[in-house]
Amino acid sequence: MIKLKQLLTSAVIATTTLLSVNSAMAADYPPHTINMVAPSGAGGGWDLTIRTVGKVLKDTGIVDANMPVVNRPGGGGAVNLAYMQTQKGKGDLISVYSPPILLTNLTGLTQYSYKDTTPIARLITDYAAFVVPEDSKYKTIKEVMDALKKDPKSVKIGGTSAAGSMDHIQFLLVAKAAGVENLRNIDYISFQNGSLIAQALGGHVDLISTGLGDVAGLVESGKLHALAQTADKRIGSGLIADIPTVKEEGINVTFENWRGLFGPKDMPEEAVAYWRDALQKMVKTTEWKEALKRNGWDNAYQNDQDFSKFLGKTNEQYKGLIKEVFGR
Amino acid sequence: MDILTNLMNGFSVALQPYYLFLILVGGILGTVIGMLPGLGPATGVAILLPMTFSMGPTASLITMMGVYIGAMFGGSRSSILINTPGDGAALAATFDGYPMAMKGKAESALAISAIASLIGGTIAAILMTLMAEPVAGLAIKFGPAEYFLLMVAALSMTVSMSKGNMLKGFLSMCIGLAISTVGIDGQSGLQRFTFGVLELQTGIDFLVVIIGIYALGEVFKSFRTLSEGGKKAQTKFKRIWISKEEWKRSKWPILRSAPVGFIIGALPGAGGTMASLMCYNNEKQLSKNKEEFGHGAIEGLAAPESANNAASIGAMIPMLSLGVPGSGTTAVMMGALLMLGIQPGPLLFAQHPDTAWGLIASMFVANVILAIVNIPLAGVLVRLLAIPPKVLYPIVLSLAFVGCYAISASVVDFYILIILGVAGVIMGRLDIPTSPMILAAIVGGQMEQSFRQGYRISNQDLSVFMDSGIAKGLLVVVLLSILLPIISAIRAKVAERKVAA
Repeated sequence: MIKLKQLLTSAVIATTTLLSVNSAMAADYPPHTINMVAPSGAGGGWDLTIRTVGKVLKDTGIVDANMPVVNRPGGGGAVNLAYMQTQKGKGDLISVYSPPILLTNLTGLTQYSYKDTTPIARLITDYAAFVVPEDSKYKTIKEVMDALKKDPKSVKIGGTSAAGSMDHIQFLLVAKAAGVENLRNIDYISFQNGSLIAQALGGHVDLISTGLGDVAGLVESGKLHALAQTADKRIGSGLIADIPTVKEEGINVTFENWRGLFGPKDMPEEAVAYWRDALQKMVKTTEWKEALKRNGWDNAYQNDQDFSKFLGKTNEQYKGLIKEVFGR
Repeated sequence: MDILTNLMNGFSVALQPYYLFLILVGGILGTVIGMLPGLGPATGVAILLPMTFSMGPTASLITMMGVYIGAMFGGSRSSILINTPGDGAALAATFDGYPMAMKGKAESALAISAIASLIGGTIAAILMTLMAEPVAGLAIKFGPAEYFLLMVAALSMTVSMSKGNMLKGFLSMCIGLAISTVGIDGQSGLQRFTFGVLELQTGIDFLVVIIGIYALGEVFKSFRTLSEGGKKAQTKFKRIWISKEEWKRSKWPILRSAPVGFIIGALPGAGGTMASLMCYNNEKQLSKNKEEFGHGAIEGLAAPESANNAASIGAMIPMLSLGVPGSGTTAVMMGALLMLGIQPGPLLFAQHPDTAWGLIASMFVANVILAIVNIPLAGVLVRLLAIPPKVLYPIVLSLAFVGCYAISASVVDFYILIILGVAGVIMGRLDIPTSPMILAAIVGGQMEQSFRQGYRISNQDLSVFMDSGIAKGLLVVVLLSILLPIISAIRAKVAERKVAA
């Protein structure tokens, strides 16, 4: 009896092992489980984006695999980027990133860049908004730039992210395009405790550099005045649509806070092709369009090849700026 | 009387059986989540968020409110019973709550904590109904200079914490300040003390410091005696209630701390931790039983408990009336509101009066329901003390690690946790107080950043720190809170000498 039991057990073990080996060898994509990684904690833009993508893909039946969301926070996304280096050549990990994947590398916070990943697609974008208290003496972004040209210390710029990260860089890009020199001398003040907008309402900083989506409500209520946004066209409706673009103000530049998907470096070609196809389908679904509307996101779909080119170009643009401001 | 009518309408929403049920369920879940170290109201609300989406905005918000207030009630249970605060706002409850439990007064401690929370929360809800607008106006007057002074006022508590041995207290504070500098510095974007470890770029979370020093430190300390069996803290239990004498001592501290907690809570980024610590210190200065503080003074538990619940309600103000999330929890709630298609901010009360006033009414209701739930619940929880340390401490240890992982999902934090646990033991051996270190770790980062923000905005002019009326007032508070303990210490010394002579 005991022998029979042993025999049976080993037979079961052998078959299951063989089966799993077999399925791995067949390697038809997608695998059973694809990990959807937000390189931040729960709540916040990256987390919301990857969750929405997973939900839409599942609800519409475009992707059949399990897509659990994994939060791997730390180092402004750098912890996950380092983890992705241990997953080279694999196809079962998809992560969301935005401009900080370029900035953390350029300012030297991490040695890894977007080149150590496989860009899969750009999906959505928000834009920068430059906002002043309602009784501010500045009525246009041009006036701010003129004041900075005269005295770079005369306008104090507030933002949420640390110096050298997105809120800082998006303002400097515009200032540079407006012809402000001595970018290095402009005072940027970081408020990382969540009080930035209250600081603007109280008039403690002269101007805040933030995301259009973050201040839409306050602009609509008239408590804050948005001088300009950085899209290449007007956005939204009502008072939001009244916000001029920096281009209209004669400053020839745009800034996009895009969000896109990335796989590990050397992701298998069939996996890349699968996602190219799946996401192309996804962006056309009504579910996705509704999600965009609900979250105030602007569609910015680009497939893997276009996205890679875009990343290369944007990276060079930021590189020059950061070198000028930080000398590194 | 407009407010009253609106509030009554709000109650007619919140008192419907369905919503009462949601508050009850949310409240109990929140209490449980709040008790676990590392899991505070923000995590609780975030976890339950997806479940509430199908309910519609009002029901969803009311459930979240239940979870939020439940977590505030629950946070201090573990502070009192196992000396491990559930979150930052419950830290001050360890100072006198745990000593009370060790003295066999756990029943009173748990009861006063629920009572103080109820009264503090209710006072704050009344203040919120009447004064949301002016308080929001006051909150935005706080610029970097005012924040800096507020943080200094909180930090000056370390002086009174280290009475008797100023030097050791100061040393402890410096370690805490050093911990608070780890990470990327916001103003320069440079890394400080990260030693090439990516996980350190976001800094060391003060909850990790608290869990390490308190939970792990406590367990490590008792390693030597653990095999001897160790004695149970308490085996016989009385009813969960307080005596008349205890009520008399706690009454004023509770009433005084509620409005202070409410206002500090309304400042974006300050929150319950700061509010409860400051109120604890106030009461210590005002009390006739100063020497009893830290050894189980009931007013030392009542004041912070009242303050942190009041603060949690104050924190709703920036979100509801300005559309600015003032704390981690309200940030999650605001995200939820946006997903439900409701824009918080100045227009909320005009556009969605049902939701807004229903929410305010549910604050009142949630406080009452949770106080009712928490007193019998405390009767069950207090039996934790009957568990021998041999069994209890491994549970505390695993909770500590789980809680630590929940904060940042980083294994690096485990090493920090262990190092801090060992540091807690060593500091205990050398008789160095740990509270100044923890306080400095909480306050230090924001204090430094606020100083540099203010200094930069004013073009390097220090006078910004005494410019506004609020700044002047805070400056007086700072001076008083530093000088008073020193003066009273000197007077005690002089009196001692006289007696000796």
